[in-house]
Amino acid sequence: MLKRSLFALLLSATLAAPVAAHAADPAFTLTIKDRTFDVAELDVPANVKFTLTVQNLDKVPSEFESSDLNREKVVVGGSTITVYLGPLTPGSYEFFDDFNPTARGHIVAK
Amino acid sequence: MLRNKLVAAATLAAAALVTRHAYADFEMHYPIIDYREAELEHNGSTSVDNRSGMNNNQSYTVELGYGVTPWWEPEIEFDLGAAPGQNWTYSATTFENTFQLTPQGEYWADLGFFAEYSHAASRAAADAMTFGPLVQKEWNDAFGSGVDTLHTLNLLVSKQVGRNRNDATPVQLSWQSRLRLNAFFEPGVEYYGNFNNIADRLTMTDPTHRAGPVIVGAYNMYQYGKIKYEAGYLFGLNNATEGGTIRWRLEYEKSF
Repeated sequence: MLKRSLFALLLSATLAAPVAAHAADPAFTLTIKDRTFDVAELDVPANVKFTLTVQNLDKVPSEFESSDLNREKVVVGGSTITVYLGPLTPGSYEFFDDFNPTARGHIVAK
Repeated sequence: MLRNKLVAAATLAAAALVTRHAYADFEMHYPIIDYREAELEHNGSTSVDNRSGMNNNQSYTVELGYGVTPWWEPEIEFDLGAAPGQNWTYSATTFENTFQLTPQGEYWADLGFFAEYSHAASRAAADAMTFGPLVQKEWNDAFGSGVDTLHTLNLLVSKQVGRNRNDATPVQLSWQSRLRLNAFFEPGVEYYGNFNNIADRLTMTDPTHRAGPVIVGAYNMYQYGKIKYEAGYLFGLNNATEGGTIRWRLEYEKSF
């Protein structure tokens, strides 16, 4: 009985769809071209979830990374990724291209 | 998409049920895959106890893994161990798989699935499969403190297969909560519970329950890779558990 219950728990924990991000979450875009980000500072609203689309226009891969935001995601050349972030407390959060660390910027939550 | 991932996870889980070797596995599994990232990882643990039969119980692993897709990372693991007063032996070769089932941060919690098949080195031991869900929750500005926190739960069941197997179905429950103070230094606490058999009552009198502090951190060398570490001390919570266990993890990873 307990065995069945635990398997049921495992199955439901795996299959259960977690609560989705709100459809109306604000969305922002960063573009990588010539191995640099198009903006050095991106203002976002504090205390709400938001999505960040990172578009890599170069042919070589980049990696959007932020220790402050606990995110690390490769962006293959010519592709786009979506990064789900927040809610963030007001402040500045650094991000960089891990493959080219001179390319840096900040997300500023206000 | 989620269904495809679940089917792949279930297929590999079905192909991978093995018996876990005798040593407890003090390794937290995280549900986030680093796509196109190769990693070389070492985990180790040793027990500290006044009782001679429980002191210096050692377990070591060396693992090689690669994020093949944004949602699947296979790893090959080489397991060594030494029971108290005995020499090191090569105990098992393990094929690990971690599946990221949800995009990081999209939902209330991040969900993954873990499945491994462990092939025992000794003919006297059985192979084993271990599998189960991995859940991670980011909780920023916890209690309005301004501190971001990260919480991870593993719930893994094992099943021995093949020659010399037994019918028990052990369960391992692992929990880690840490403060994201700084990338180099994230202090936290963790718990590892090993229950002998699903069919038994899951009580604190079961063999091993450990909890204690842990430090997690990473040093980024950018295009030259990243070094990650974890170091913890686990206190035994009942008489059947060693008084203390030192555990550590050292990892080098590099994206390509």
